[in-house]
Parts: sequence; structure tokens; C-alpha cells
Amino acid sequence: MPSAPHPYLFLALMLAVGLVFCLGMLGLARLWAVWVSPPKPGLTKGAAYECGLAPQGDVGIRFQSQYYLYAIIFLVFDVETVFLLPFAVSFTGLAPGAFVAIMVFLLLLVEGLVWAWGKGLLRWR
Amino acid sequence: MTGVGYSDLLAALAPETALVLAAVAVLFVDMGLMRSAPLRQRFLTACAVAGLGCLVTLGILASSGAHLRFLDGVLVVDSLTQWVKVFLVVLTLFTAGISAQAEFTEHVGEYFALVLLATVGMMFLVSTEEILMIFVSLELTSLSLYVLAALDKRTRHASEAALKYFLFGSVAAAFTLFGLSLVYGLSGATNLTGIAAGLRAHRSDPLLAVAVVMVIMGFGFKVAVVPFHLWAPDAYEGAPVPAAALIASGSKVASFFVLAKIAVLGFAGVEGSGAWGQLRAGWLPVLAVLAVGSMVLGNLTAIAQGHLRRLLAYSAIAHAGYVLLGLMAMGYPSQRSAALAAVLYYVATYGLTTVGAFGVASVIERVLGNGRIDALAGLSRRSPLLALCLMVFLLSLAGIPPLAGFFGKFGLFTAAMGADPAGLGLLWLVGIAIAMSTVSLYYYLRVLKQAYVVAGDEEASRIVVPWTDRLVLIAAAVGVFLLGALPELLLGPLARAIAGGNGF
Repeated sequence: MPSAPHPYLFLALMLAVGLVFCLGMLGLARLWAVWVSPPKPGLTKGAAYECGLAPQGDVGIRFQSQYYLYAIIFLVFDVETVFLLPFAVSFTGLAPGAFVAIMVFLLLLVEGLVWAWGKGLLRWR
Repeated sequence: MTGVGYSDLLAALAPETALVLAAVAVLFVDMGLMRSAPLRQRFLTACAVAGLGCLVTLGILASSGAHLRFLDGVLVVDSLTQWVKVFLVVLTLFTAGISAQAEFTEHVGEYFALVLLATVGMMFLVSTEEILMIFVSLELTSLSLYVLAALDKRTRHASEAALKYFLFGSVAAAFTLFGLSLVYGLSGATNLTGIAAGLRAHRSDPLLAVAVVMVIMGFGFKVAVVPFHLWAPDAYEGAPVPAAALIASGSKVASFFVLAKIAVLGFAGVEGSGAWGQLRAGWLPVLAVLAVGSMVLGNLTAIAQGHLRRLLAYSAIAHAGYVLLGLMAMGYPSQRSAALAAVLYYVATYGLTTVGAFGVASVIERVLGNGRIDALAGLSRRSPLLALCLMVFLLSLAGIPPLAGFFGKFGLFTAAMGADPAGLGLLWLVGIAIAMSTVSLYYYLRVLKQAYVVAGDEEASRIVVPWTDRLVLIAAAVGVFLLGALPELLLGPLARAIAGGNGF
């Protein structure tokens, strides 16, 4: 009677197939590049692609990252909602302790907002 | 519910609450009142508020006899956790003390608030026996520490250090989380005692081995053991000195405590064996490998270092290796409480010594402009106090009696020697540890030789040590000396707390 395969055999097989698939693809791409399209860099080839227009300036440009502050402050309110919704739904059945707890939570979040405001983070520069 | 009301919770968590309030207060004092004051005053004021918060917290910890076990270990408060919290708050107080004269950032309130919040995270970490809570508090600690390490935005070095710390840390956290999820999948429980019960049926499961290794990897990063140590030298050298001091002291105390809890309580029954010649799969051999690697690599690499804080980093790696010996001794039930007392004594005194050593480094770097060991030449003449404190701290790290480091190592090694009831199974590790301690004496003495023997610039002026730094350094040095001369001061209460605890 043949014994049942080991329960982790499947995982090991997946790992092997995954490795072979990824490395095989990479290897094929490499072979293709070597045989069919050997690299011949030139000024035109290396230029930034701008929809067929003549490229202006460098490829590396500066991204504006100020927006991340707004994203973080938005997150504050986002998380707040997650807790406030169940709080509002079960409001009438809550003990005084639970009410105080959620108020403290709100207070901490509001303090975060006040801090951000006071720091001048809400001013767009 | 378990009959625990909000007022009981609040009473048990009063120390944490006090620290959070102090963090909020420090933010608003700095932003509201001190906004236009010069940077030095802002640092001093914020340090005073944070220090006051720490003192109040210490008072609450000393006066409350709270005992609580909430929701099967989500929150565990007993006299043992209170003691570990006392260590943490004292270390934070000293960290705040050595940052009073700092000038590395203009975000003063945020800096102190983050220090306090990191401490709150550590305090939650020590008072929980539930893996979700452990992970959340670990993240609270880690995120605060990442930001602290990155606060000095003006130097490239600090940014590089912070980025390395962050990247390594987040990968390690991912491993911990994956490991913990596997543990949950195997045992079906999230509290540590439930996990131990649930794992009983899966002792030889290969998945359990993966889970154990992954969990230990994550904590191995936090305590900086080989091979998860690569961030430590850069972070210790590049981060602002007080932040590095907190990473090196408080964070380690908490991480070792929780690692011990996870290993001893959660992985009870899958210890395996780390005895020489009879290695058996489990968490003991994993720790044995990490301990040997850390002791050997940490001590040997420290010899080649030219920067004081980098040297302290490699010595920290070596010391983490020693502590792992104590953790291994805890895997044997007969020695558990003695080993736990030894480990706690060791990490507490080690944290104190490290904060002190970083305090000396911060004064020296402020005056000399760099922290290289060569620059210490003539220190004993330029500032006898700094040189003396440096000597106390480094000799304690090397383990010279009557300083605390000696007794700490003695306790750890005896616990490890007597751990195996079947014989001297861990003797090989103790042998390596003692041999490597001897090596460590060489590089500590090299620093002291530079400070005491090598003649410096004759013209160099005396170094004025500000009173805050003087206070912290003297307090830490006296503490290291007293705890080494009279170890019962700390070991007695610790042993009573362990005996009165819940089996851990």
C-alpha cells in the first residue's frame, strides 16, 4: 500500500517550481538579449522618452514629498473612524468607563492634530 | 468579562499613563511656552519635564502593589514586571539626563516625547504574555526608536545609521510576525500558556522549527546577536548619543525579558538540548548557536575598532551572547528562577553601565568633535571625573570585581553551569564565554590606556562637564559600584518578586 505523500511535499514542490519559473524566465530574457539584441547604447537611445517629443532636461527630477504629511494626518482621522463607528452603534449600551476611554482616545487624536497645526504642518509651502 | 473594571485597569497601568501624560506635557510645554527660547533652554526645560514624569512614574511603581492578570495574559502586572519597569524608567531617566545638553535637533519636545513613548512601549512589552500585544508594543517601541535614531538630520552618518536600523528592523519585525502567525496556526492560541499547551501535539512538526527560528530571528535583531547584528555598529555610532544609549540599554532590557517569556513560557516543551555532544532540535540549540557567534565575533571584532561608540556596539553584541547563556539556563526548570534573577540583574546593571558609557561618549564628542579612541589621549588630565567614570564603566563591562559587571557575569555563568541536571552540559558555552571575556579585557584596557597613560596635547584646556552630565555620570558610576559590591540590594528583591510571581 503506497504511503500518503508528506504534507509538506506540496510546499517543497511549489518552491521548486517557483524558483525554476522565475530563474528560467530571467535566463531566457538574458539569452534573448545576448543573441538577438546586443546592447548598443547611443545618445538617442539613452535619451528620456517623452511621447516622441524632444526630451527636455534630465531624467532624474525632484518629486514633491510634502503631501506625505497630509497623508499621515488623514490617517489619524481614518483610524479614528474605525473606532468611532462601533462606538456610535453601541452607544446606548455602554458603561461610563467605556465612554471615558473613547473620549481619552479622541482627546489623544485631537492633541495630535493640535500639535501638527502648531508645528505649522498644515501650511502648504 | 473577567470582572476587571476600568478603574482596576487604570490602577494597574498608572505608571504607563503617567509616562504618556508626561510625553504629551513635554510636547506642549516645548511648543507652547518655549517656542522662541534658545535651543539650550528648550532642551533643559524639556529634559526637566521628562525627568519629572519619570520620577513620578518611579514613585507610582514603588508605591503601588498592583497585581492583575487580565484576559489570560493580555496584561500581566505583578511585582516582577514592576521591577523590570523600574529598571526601564531609571534607564530612561538617565537617557533624558544625558540629552539635557544636546543640540542635535530643533524638535526638542518631539525628541523627549518619543523617548517617553518608546519607554511606554517597553513597559507594555514586559507586562504582557500575549503574542498580539507583544507585537503591538514591540512596534510602538521600535517605531519610536527608528525616529529617535533619525532625528539628527544634519549629518549624513546619522541618516545612514537610521536608515539601516529602520530597514533591518522592519525586516526583522516581518519575520517575527510571520513566526508568530505560524505559532498561532499550530497552537490555536495567542497567549503564551495556551501556546505551550497547543504545541504539545506538534513537537516534531517541521513547521514548528520554522516558527521558532523566525520568532527568535526577530528578537535576535532587537538584542543584536550575531548574525542579526549588522545594524548595531552603525546605529550606535551614527545615531544621536542619547538615542543610541536608549537603544542599547532600555530596549535590550525589555527585549531580553520578553524573549525569555516567549521561549520559556510559550515554547515550553520544545526546549531541545544545547548540551555538548547531545544537541537536540528546539530553541536551546538555536540560542546556543547565536550565543557562540555573538561572543566570538563581537569580542574579536571589537579589538579592531577605532571609534568608542563602535567599540561599545561590538561589546554589546558580545554581552548579548552572555545573556543568551542565562536564557538557555532558564530552559531547565531546576534553575529557572535563579537564572531569571541572574539575567535580570545582568541586563539591569549592563543597561546602567551602557548609559553611563554613552554619557561619557556624549560629553567627549561634544568637546572634542569626534568620538575616536585616539582622541582620548590625555583625558585623565583634562577631566579626571570623565576618565574615572569611563574606567568604572569599562571595567564593569569587562567584569572586574567589585563592579556590577563581575557579579552579573558570575551569576550568569554559575546559572548556566548548574542548569543541566544530567551533568555539565552547558560547560562548553561557559568555557567560550570566559575565554572571550578575557579577550574583552584587552580592548577595554586599550581605551583606558589611551585615556590614562598616553600623553595628550599639553596645551589642551580642561574639559568642563555640565552639571546635568556630571549628575548622571556620578549616579551611574555609584550605582555600578554599589550594585557590584552589594548585589543583594538588587538580587534580594528580584528573588522575592520571582518567588511571588506566577511561575515565571
